[in-house]
Amino acid sequence: MARRDAAAAAVLLVAGAVVVWQAGQLPFGTVRRPGEGFFPWWLGVVLAGLAVAALVDAALGRRREGGEAGGRVGRVGALLLALGAYALALEPLGYPICTFLLVLCTVPPRDRSTILPSLAFALATAGGSYLVFAVWLSVPLPAGPFAR
Amino acid sequence: MDILSLLGSGFAVALTPTNVVYGLLGALIGTAIGVLPGLGPPATIALLLPVTYGMPPTSAVILLAGIFYGAMYGGSTTSILLNIPGEAATVVTCLDGYEMARRGRAGAALAVSAIGSFVAGTLSIVGLMLLAPPLAAFALKFGAPENTALLVLGLMMVGYLGGGSTAKALIMAVVGLLLGTVGLDPIMGTPRFTYGVFKLSEGFQFILVAMGLFGIGEVLVNYERPVAPEVVRTRIAGLLGTREDWRAARAPVARGSLIGFLIGVLPGGGATISSFLTYALEKRLSRHPERFGHGAIEGVAAPEAANNAAATSSFIPLLTLGIPGNASIALIFAALLIHGIRPGPLLVTEQPQVFWGLIASMYLGNAVLLVLNLPLIRLWVKLLQVPYRLLGPLILVFVLVGAYSVNNSATDVGIVVVFGALGWLMRRFGFEPAPLVLAMILGPQLEASLRRSLIYSHGDLGVFVERPISAALLAVAGLLVLLPLARALLARRPRGRLADSPS
Repeated sequence: MARRDAAAAAVLLVAGAVVVWQAGQLPFGTVRRPGEGFFPWWLGVVLAGLAVAALVDAALGRRREGGEAGGRVGRVGALLLALGAYALALEPLGYPICTFLLVLCTVPPRDRSTILPSLAFALATAGGSYLVFAVWLSVPLPAGPFAR
Repeated sequence: MDILSLLGSGFAVALTPTNVVYGLLGALIGTAIGVLPGLGPPATIALLLPVTYGMPPTSAVILLAGIFYGAMYGGSTTSILLNIPGEAATVVTCLDGYEMARRGRAGAALAVSAIGSFVAGTLSIVGLMLLAPPLAAFALKFGAPENTALLVLGLMMVGYLGGGSTAKALIMAVVGLLLGTVGLDPIMGTPRFTYGVFKLSEGFQFILVAMGLFGIGEVLVNYERPVAPEVVRTRIAGLLGTREDWRAARAPVARGSLIGFLIGVLPGGGATISSFLTYALEKRLSRHPERFGHGAIEGVAAPEAANNAAATSSFIPLLTLGIPGNASIALIFAALLIHGIRPGPLLVTEQPQVFWGLIASMYLGNAVLLVLNLPLIRLWVKLLQVPYRLLGPLILVFVLVGAYSVNNSATDVGIVVVFGALGWLMRRFGFEPAPLVLAMILGPQLEASLRRSLIYSHGDLGVFVERPISAALLAVAGLLVLLPLARALLARRPRGRLADSPS
């Protein structure tokens, strides 16, 4: 866990440094009249400071709390890719097709006997939610090729 | 107007057919999501925020508040019957509640939990009703320095009391404050960190961030580690408990109500801490502490009372000071802002229909939850049998439609997905998203108050310590920083002495 904490702290330290640098590009003003960069600059400094403290803690192996190792990370990665593709394809392909494919990705058939239930669930979710949101509640969801 | 006539006007608002339906719906949705592990109140409130756009503000807040306190009722059911807490605040209920269920006393555990929750919730509403108006009147005296000090204290408390690592919570709070700086500068009105992207000039929309972190983030966490709920095979009988049960539960419910109320008022305090604290207290006060963990009814009564009392009293800082104390309350804060209502000291006087309507709806909601929950226990148990692999995609679809409907934009769907990935990563590395969300919503206020204070005082930092309220608030915030350091030093001292001592 200490290694993971150290990695997180290093990322946050870099983020803090980037914030300080970016906020430094904005007018800092003075303490009498703080400018746009004043608050974010100090936040960047505090973030970097906290990250250094976390890094020291992790280096000393003291902080061993929170976070979870293991798990099915590959599954999450695949779902995130599917979600990213969904966001990109939503307008060109339309809501019903994209949602059908996304749901099918989340409930893939395990064997031949579950092909039909998986397809039926994906179809019912995509079709049912389109009817509820787009037709009944008038949310202007993109219809894709189904648009008139 | 005296308090009773104001409450009467609140009931006139809450008892309109529309608001009754929303209150009922909120309580039922809250119970359902409380029952279902893997879907918490912040995620549900985030999902339903877009649905409230078209509602009157009072109805919206009645619906969302119902979800929040309804979840506390529902969460105990899974703790007792599954040994899986539906909510963080009901973790401790597992210890004795599940043991009671295993010993065939699920009915008594559920009854004490539901009736104890009702009593505590109702007492807490009375406290909220009596305490909020004078506190709001007091808060009207606050100027920019007091507001700055109050917001600093609020953020420190969220870090200190929020559970988990204080350092990690503070880091998340700073990240949230930074996210809040994107968009227009709150004093000058000039764009900041927008990099020429027009969409960023509005800043990150809070609702999209919350939907991503809580909605998608929770689905991803559950997708990574699926939970297979197994309901304890027991006959749920005796749903009123015995006289002995009630005799044993009476004092723990009273203590749980009081402690829950007091802790709920503190930003970052709330239901989870109060439930753990009251459990520890009851164990210490008990003549038979060895029964705890083996089906002691006091171990169910006190934490359940405490988490409900805290859930209700956590509305006090929101409604009187404009400071949300936890993620769910922050989302209700956002809902009010969306409807053009700024929670804070002026809410009680300028929007009495919202304030008193909400209070009256809480009385009704609590009664509805008591009346509906016990008879519906079997239905909730059935709901637990819906596998998450079917529930997860439905939640995803709901989040994605909600995200799209905010601005009818696929870009917003992408933003929600990015924040969902961030929420999942944060949890994997042990960072809780709640402080980030709270800080994001409070950030622009904190920056504006801080800069105004400095402008008015011509850069004199003494303005924060010369004014008594601000000085007191900052002193408490300072103590919160020093306490963990002092504790760490004290923890090292005995070891040092041992090392120094001759062997």
